[in-house]
Amino acid sequence: MLWKYALRRIIVALPVLLGVTVITYGLIYLTAGDLVPGLQLNPNLRPEDIARIKANLGLDQPFLVQYLNWLGVPWLLHQVGLWPGAVRTGLLQGDFGRSLLDGSPVMSHILERLPYTLELTSLAILVGVIVAIPMGVVGALRRGSPADHFLTSLSVVGVSIPNFWLALLLVLIFSVGAFQLGLPHLPSGGAASSVNGGDVLDRLAHLVLPTTVLAFGYLAVWSRYTRSSMLESLSQDYVRTARAKGMSERRVVYVHTLRNAVIPLVTLIGLELPTLVAGGAVVEIVFSWPGLGRLALERAVGHDYTTVMGLTLFTAVLVIAGNLLADVLYAVLDPRIRYT
Amino acid sequence: MSKQDLTGDEGYQRFEEFLDEWSRRDFLRGMGAATAFTLFAAGGMELLAACGGGGGGGQQPSQAKKGGHVVEATIADLQYLNPVLYGDTASSTATSMIYDSLYMSDDKGNPAALLAKDLPKISSDQLTYTISLRDAKWTDGKPVIADDVKFTYELMFDPKYDKVNSPRRGDLVDYIQSVSVKDATTVVFQLKKAYSPFTTVHLQYGILPMHVWGSLSAEQINTTDLNGRPTVTNGPFQNAVWQKDQQVTFDKNPNYYRGAPNVDRYVIKVIKSSTDILNQLKTGETDVGPVDPAQGDAARTVDLITLHRFPGLLFLFYLYNLDPAKTPLFQQKEVRQALLYALDRQSMAKAIYFGFATVANTSMPPKSWAYNPDNKPVFNFDRKKAESMLDAAGWKKGPDGIRANGAGLKLKFEMITNAGNKVRENSLVNMQQQWRDIGVDATPKFVDFNKVLVPALRNTRDFQVLMVGFQWSTDPDQSQVWASRNSRAGGYNGMSYKNTQLDTIMDQATTTSDQKKRKDLYFKMQQILAEDQPAPILFFPDNLYGVNKRVVGFNAGPFANQYDGRRIWIKDLSVSDGK
Repeated sequence: MLWKYALRRIIVALPVLLGVTVITYGLIYLTAGDLVPGLQLNPNLRPEDIARIKANLGLDQPFLVQYLNWLGVPWLLHQVGLWPGAVRTGLLQGDFGRSLLDGSPVMSHILERLPYTLELTSLAILVGVIVAIPMGVVGALRRGSPADHFLTSLSVVGVSIPNFWLALLLVLIFSVGAFQLGLPHLPSGGAASSVNGGDVLDRLAHLVLPTTVLAFGYLAVWSRYTRSSMLESLSQDYVRTARAKGMSERRVVYVHTLRNAVIPLVTLIGLELPTLVAGGAVVEIVFSWPGLGRLALERAVGHDYTTVMGLTLFTAVLVIAGNLLADVLYAVLDPRIRYT
Repeated sequence: MSKQDLTGDEGYQRFEEFLDEWSRRDFLRGMGAATAFTLFAAGGMELLAACGGGGGGGQQPSQAKKGGHVVEATIADLQYLNPVLYGDTASSTATSMIYDSLYMSDDKGNPAALLAKDLPKISSDQLTYTISLRDAKWTDGKPVIADDVKFTYELMFDPKYDKVNSPRRGDLVDYIQSVSVKDATTVVFQLKKAYSPFTTVHLQYGILPMHVWGSLSAEQINTTDLNGRPTVTNGPFQNAVWQKDQQVTFDKNPNYYRGAPNVDRYVIKVIKSSTDILNQLKTGETDVGPVDPAQGDAARTVDLITLHRFPGLLFLFYLYNLDPAKTPLFQQKEVRQALLYALDRQSMAKAIYFGFATVANTSMPPKSWAYNPDNKPVFNFDRKKAESMLDAAGWKKGPDGIRANGAGLKLKFEMITNAGNKVRENSLVNMQQQWRDIGVDATPKFVDFNKVLVPALRNTRDFQVLMVGFQWSTDPDQSQVWASRNSRAGGYNGMSYKNTQLDTIMDQATTTSDQKKRKDLYFKMQQILAEDQPAPILFFPDNLYGVNKRVVGFNAGPFANQYDGRRIWIKDLSVSDGK
């Protein structure tokens, strides 16, 4: 049964998640050492202020104590009377903790950025899929034709161009250039206009350039996959049989071949889910997009342990969910695949 | 140490930003150096003419338009909208929009009264500061009273609030004995020791409303939602709405005690790269924003904006090691002076800062009230003079072209700075060539900032010449770097410079509150330092702001830093199109 399979996968994932937290916490501890976020690198600060704030944040504790505190183990022990004194809740109580940089809850940081990232990345994935699949199909059906060569070149360009460069180029042309020529222009960054912004049209206008840049990277790869996968499917026996039966070419291609050909693509897109968090970081920075990728990058540089831990855990969950989703979609797309 | 000097993260960040742009700029230069230079030179003059007065932001017209909005870009998001907790420039600028302090700094670094009626009455022993408050109101209509001031300072120095993560505690504990309420509008600061920069340095933190915050515990103050969404404030703007990583929006406070601001709305918008800031200035999406020096000449060609330019508190300098146990080379001041005469700093400013830097003639920031424009001696580039000074000091050229003294000691040394900082690296390479021309063999070496440069500067003192950037505070006190006592391990007098006459002058200057006397003392200090040259200050790099031409009265100056980003002129700012 599919749901039993899913449940088992989720249970197996729990120790993996725990392992991820140990490794991440360890890595951050090793690289950041005893830095106090936002303060340690400020030479205006007195050592005694740094020491005091460090103690307030609990960063003067040994690694294991810090980690267990973050997990919320002392809180559990406190409930059964095994831990003296007041203790904070932790991950096990569903508390991601507070940012070391600004004192606000990590979860609120994530939830504030999540809609922006989802908006941008899901739209980019959607555009990527919608454009990539026809591109791949056309390439496969007209193999060797000028159209195929053109699409292949486009993919190579897409893979080779760094997305930040493309982003700057698009801003120069469609935002700054168009404005200076007095033409209608797109906003060069941000998620909405600073003043009187925020309506649907305004939001969409701000989405155009970052979505294009992200989608361009996706479709370059995905169209190649679709193309080769289509070519493989087209040479299968059942395609020849279908044609021999006198089935229309349209039905052969879109019903029989394409459905089989997109299965590997589903895996790819499933694996792309975690990049909802990190994948867009560069584009988010170039376009000043207030998303999770930018948050992760900035907080990692700023040694904000708790926020980075929260984001890592969040990403890990997404990786596992993405894989699971891809597996489930397999079964839906291909009736021959059964999970037990 | 007090907040003084030394570049905060801001200073380094500016340099790092600079670095990012460097490679691209180099490429552009290669493409069309000659054209670029011509344009640049012409533009530079125009710019100087435009900035002749106090700033390029334009003067306040007699009838300022009311209404409209201004969008300002900041490269870093803020951390807190709480004057007690923040330690970064972005937070400081944003917080000062909504929370007024007792005093602030004017465009010369003088203290100016805000919530206070006038300057503090200081007792003759310099230990008691009595301050009367103006008739100011919180946005909920309650008056701003002495208890609010007492409460705010207690959060930062009283032991019962030890758990408040304020980065100012160490400093305040050192200076403040007590803060007491004499009556509703009079507050008294009792100091532990005389310290005349106290008003400028420590009476400029925003005041919090006790009737809103007073019931919170120390831990709650660190984490309360009020740190991001303040409800009751007293500044020129109010209703701060902070969308993290995007922008903070402020509405004007119509009941502001100094008169309501001209603009209805002010937005501080986070834009993560200097390239993007310039793009948004070009399209008008942003009205005001910092411009990277590497993009200064590009910004100048944009029709929509004017470039507002001023030398800041940040400076680039190099230290001679004066400890004979470390190196015997720099004991004679003639040698130190000659090396400075040999540097063509005008050309260096062009090559390294694209012209957006002011050659330093004294150690004092050029915009400070304590700056002496006629300080002597001035070290204008003079290679012949440098050579004859070295000859006279006994350093003659040997057969290999390198100078050596009578004892056979060669004028040959190593100069260190942190690897990766292109401004500093290029400066040292530039200096190596210029000094080679007068027979001095100096070798640049680029080292790790945290592992080598900072320990060499503050502890081991294992260097011959060291280059780094620092930042002075608003107050002209510079004893952090020049005082003999700060040559101890951990201090910032990395040169091991000892001049007891100068020590006395600087101590006198921080224990008298008579501004005229202080000014005389700081003029003397500048003169002694110019003569001794223990650590020549080469440049004060310029701060650049692109300002949309519709914005009238943007007058950012150097005396806003990570502890106080306050702008006295913000309420007079207006937009000419009223939008």
